[in-house]
Amino acid sequence: MDATVKSNFTAKEPHAPAKSSVFWRPTAKTGLISWLTTVDHKKIGFLYGLAALMFFLVGGFEALLIRLQLMVPNNTLLTAQQYNVMFTMHGTTMIFLAVMPLGACFFNIIMPLQIGARDVAFPRLNAFSLWTFVAGAIIINIGWFLPGETAPDAGWFGYAPLTSKAFNPGHATDFWVLGLQLLGVASIAAALNFIVTIINLRAPGMTMMRLPVFTWMTLVTSFLIILSFPAITIALVEVMMDRQFGTNFFEVSNGGMPILWQHLFWIFGHPEVYILILPAMGIISEILPTFSRKPLFGYPIVVFSGAAIGFLGFTVWSHHMFTTGMGTVATAAFSLATMAIAVPTGVKIFNWIGTLWGGHLKMRTPMMFALGFIWMFMIGGFSGVMHAAAPADAQQQDSYFVIAHFHYVLIGGSLFALLAGIHYWFPLVVGRQVSDFWGKLSFWVVFVGFNVTFFPMHFLGLNGMPRRTFTYDGNMGWNTANFIATCGALILASGIAIYFSVMIYTFFKGQKANRDHWDGRTLEWSLPNPPPEYNFRVIPTVHARDAFWYEKHHRDEIERENAEHAKEDEAHGGIHMPFQSIYPLVASSGVLIGAFGACYHTLIVALIGGSVMLSGIYLWAMEGADGYHIHLDAEGNVIEDHDAKH
Amino acid sequence: MRLNSLLTTTARWGRVALALGGTAFLTGCDLNFWRMDGHQSTISVAGPVAVAQRNLFYVTCWVTFVIFVIVGSVLAYATIKFRARSESEELAKPVEQGHGNPLIEVGLIGASVLALVIIAIPTLSAITYTHDVPEAEKSNAYEVTATGYQWWFHFEYPSEQVPNSGPLVVANELVVPAGRPIHVNLRSSDVIHSFWIPKLAGKVDMIPNRGNYLWFQADEPGYYWGQCAEYCGDSHAVMRFRVIALGPKEFNEWLNRQMASARVVAPGADQPKAHFASYRTEFKRNEKGWSDKFELNPLDSWRVHQEADVKAEDVALIQKGRETFQAKTCIVCHTVRGHEGIGVNGPNLTHVGARTTIAGGLLENNPEQLARWLRHPDEVKPGNKMYHGIGAMAGYVKIENGKEVKNIVLDEADISALVAYLSSLK
Repeated sequence: MDATVKSNFTAKEPHAPAKSSVFWRPTAKTGLISWLTTVDHKKIGFLYGLAALMFFLVGGFEALLIRLQLMVPNNTLLTAQQYNVMFTMHGTTMIFLAVMPLGACFFNIIMPLQIGARDVAFPRLNAFSLWTFVAGAIIINIGWFLPGETAPDAGWFGYAPLTSKAFNPGHATDFWVLGLQLLGVASIAAALNFIVTIINLRAPGMTMMRLPVFTWMTLVTSFLIILSFPAITIALVEVMMDRQFGTNFFEVSNGGMPILWQHLFWIFGHPEVYILILPAMGIISEILPTFSRKPLFGYPIVVFSGAAIGFLGFTVWSHHMFTTGMGTVATAAFSLATMAIAVPTGVKIFNWIGTLWGGHLKMRTPMMFALGFIWMFMIGGFSGVMHAAAPADAQQQDSYFVIAHFHYVLIGGSLFALLAGIHYWFPLVVGRQVSDFWGKLSFWVVFVGFNVTFFPMHFLGLNGMPRRTFTYDGNMGWNTANFIATCGALILASGIAIYFSVMIYTFFKGQKANRDHWDGRTLEWSLPNPPPEYNFRVIPTVHARDAFWYEKHHRDEIERENAEHAKEDEAHGGIHMPFQSIYPLVASSGVLIGAFGACYHTLIVALIGGSVMLSGIYLWAMEGADGYHIHLDAEGNVIEDHDAKH
Repeated sequence: MRLNSLLTTTARWGRVALALGGTAFLTGCDLNFWRMDGHQSTISVAGPVAVAQRNLFYVTCWVTFVIFVIVGSVLAYATIKFRARSESEELAKPVEQGHGNPLIEVGLIGASVLALVIIAIPTLSAITYTHDVPEAEKSNAYEVTATGYQWWFHFEYPSEQVPNSGPLVVANELVVPAGRPIHVNLRSSDVIHSFWIPKLAGKVDMIPNRGNYLWFQADEPGYYWGQCAEYCGDSHAVMRFRVIALGPKEFNEWLNRQMASARVVAPGADQPKAHFASYRTEFKRNEKGWSDKFELNPLDSWRVHQEADVKAEDVALIQKGRETFQAKTCIVCHTVRGHEGIGVNGPNLTHVGARTTIAGGLLENNPEQLARWLRHPDEVKPGNKMYHGIGAMAGYVKIENGKEVKNIVLDEADISALVAYLSSLK
């Protein structure tokens, strides 16, 4: 190996870009430019995470205002219009700007590491996804900051014809429509990238049935994204056309059909629910085996259930529309299909319990959140079955019972898993270890606060309180439960505050974590923390599911193999890395300008944006997918960058 | 380690506090949310449709509760049993690295399917039952049409034709015969609304361009609360209505009164009384609009509203109110059948005095609340059409050169007169 390394030693400056290129190749590895032009999946994932957590706090603040308004009957903290903005933005923010990008953060950082890859398949497309996501987030929120405008207030599922120019004359709905459209572009581009990565960039021996479950769920989620987002894309284009060009897709006076929006929206919207929960299930399926020190019970059936949930997710959209008068046959069909989803979901829960059975459970913070997830997700799942019984749902739909249900699934489910995942992978990604005491404390406060907030809402809903109401009368029997729920929300907020204070403290001041901090089972734990930019010094060869666990118990065999592979790498010119690029950011800025122009129906601005986007994409294509090589010495230090273009 | 023992201590104290708090809570606090017997309860219900829906809910509840107890016990047992109690236990040689047991998997899948079948069968039968009036009772069913407007409800009685006028029209309070199936056609004039009387039937949406319907039956005479259940814009939260179910005789009496044109108050023998002069002028935004007295027996309160208090009426003031109603262009949007009002954009006010509520089921119909509504409609019901106008029709305000300017201006004398007039429309 040493001989090969020396033979390539040319004593040039590290990271030198190809001189022949007429394009500017940013090479900064630190500082603002490095972040803006990065194509490193870990940095991009980190930025996704940062943005998602910021929006999570914003969405949480909106939720607190909602709860404070409803603390007592006939409250006047918010006006009706402000309240409507709050629940619209709370839903939109939490789904599209917090939980989805947090999922994307994990896909980006963890998935390539789990399959033994050095980056995603299309690193620059990955950067484009990130910046387009940021552009979408800016458009959706821009109404807060513009004089004379408000943020969107038509509800997160924006039912036509309430979104039409006649009922929503300002620009708020345009921001919402265009913003979601951009987020769709970002999500589809990212999902395609993940699919290609998982199919093509797996390390040798990493067969599909050896993929870690989190990677499997990334794959299923990505397919859900590319199949479901086109439906909402079409629906949003139609609303945009109605608003901007006077078409009549939903314009009742011209024979438009408002019900069409609901079908298109929920064909997207229901898979979206699984887009939010499947990554969470993947994270749980990683954490439980690690902390039980056992392989996942029934791996094939957990994987198959995940895929089955993905498929069935496309067959149940109309259970959001049981009250729209679909007739008995359609109602019965969607009712039964919805119940069918309970089976693969139940299977997952059985297998998680099977994983615990007979293990040595290490009760660390990620494990606490994971166990909390199972409990809360069970409750959310059961109230889901109650909704599947359509006639019972006629009473529950659009009541606080539904609010309780989907917060048990999305907070008790998705969010608990994401918080568990942050704790779990923190030592790997940041290289510091989070205090177990403060972690557990935050878990308990969050757990208690969450249940105190949302459990009483079941009763509120059954007692007839409709959702999306800015006020209620004191004679309806809703006062106590609302008061308790608001107290719970304050507890929940303090739990979240503890959680993030600890994370921020640990990020800067935490104790250094050992390599393989949790005695992990999957390949990402074989890396030093934080992982180097090239991830794997030598692309690993996989011999079993739980690849790293196998490595740890077959050291000699693996060492021999790695030495062989290192030679192969060098024979190919070293570790190949992609160049950084500014053009994804340029293209995304064009998208942002164009969307802003479209909101205000200003053709010239839209055209400028379009040209910036097109030139960004052209320059991106013309600069080429070049890269450079890294060579490592025996200790794994970078000794030199080869400047050869590829 | 020290921190961990601190956590254990905290947890122990937490449990004690929880036990104490729980006891205090159970003995002292108002636990009304646990009983779920409010005006819009879906549990303590009053008609066969809502009963079918509730009973199905109970089935789902019990099935999932049993599964929860079983799965939860296993999960709790596994967590406690297999928890590593010390670091050495954590690091103990890992157990056999098994990958699952197909028999257990298939068995559990079978069991889940079985549990779902228990729910599916009553679901299917309830879907058919709640969808429309059962065949056997169709001939006995009474038909009404409900139309949603931003933010109030319009009701029509197709079987009650008023001579030279069309079907009988009322607003916000649907009066129906008790003990008979009611078939409600659901329409919308603007955005999507949803028609929901929790105690009588689950909701069905009112969607523009779509002919939805639902049915319900109130077994006993009673006064029921309803509310729009689909987000429909600014004042969705305060888009409410009532259903009043009456025995056959009382229902017919009510119909007869409604079929008549608006009442004309004849000069009486008594002296005019000036008790409309001093309403409260300041209401807090969102302040509650109902009185506890009304709540004691809502149906009786409704009956009281049907009677005109002839002795207390100020004939001159009522006459002035009728003129004001015309002068201030109220007639353009509101119908008062037999009087000047002919508009259809707003609620029909022919017998508004006989309703228990105003402003779309939001405020109790008494002079003080009526004055409040006329004085500050936009505070009571943000975004409403009476204040903002509808289409080219200006309301209290109109838009001129992009600015909001006043259009209809009511002084306190106008308001007193209008209150007197509207209250007289029994």
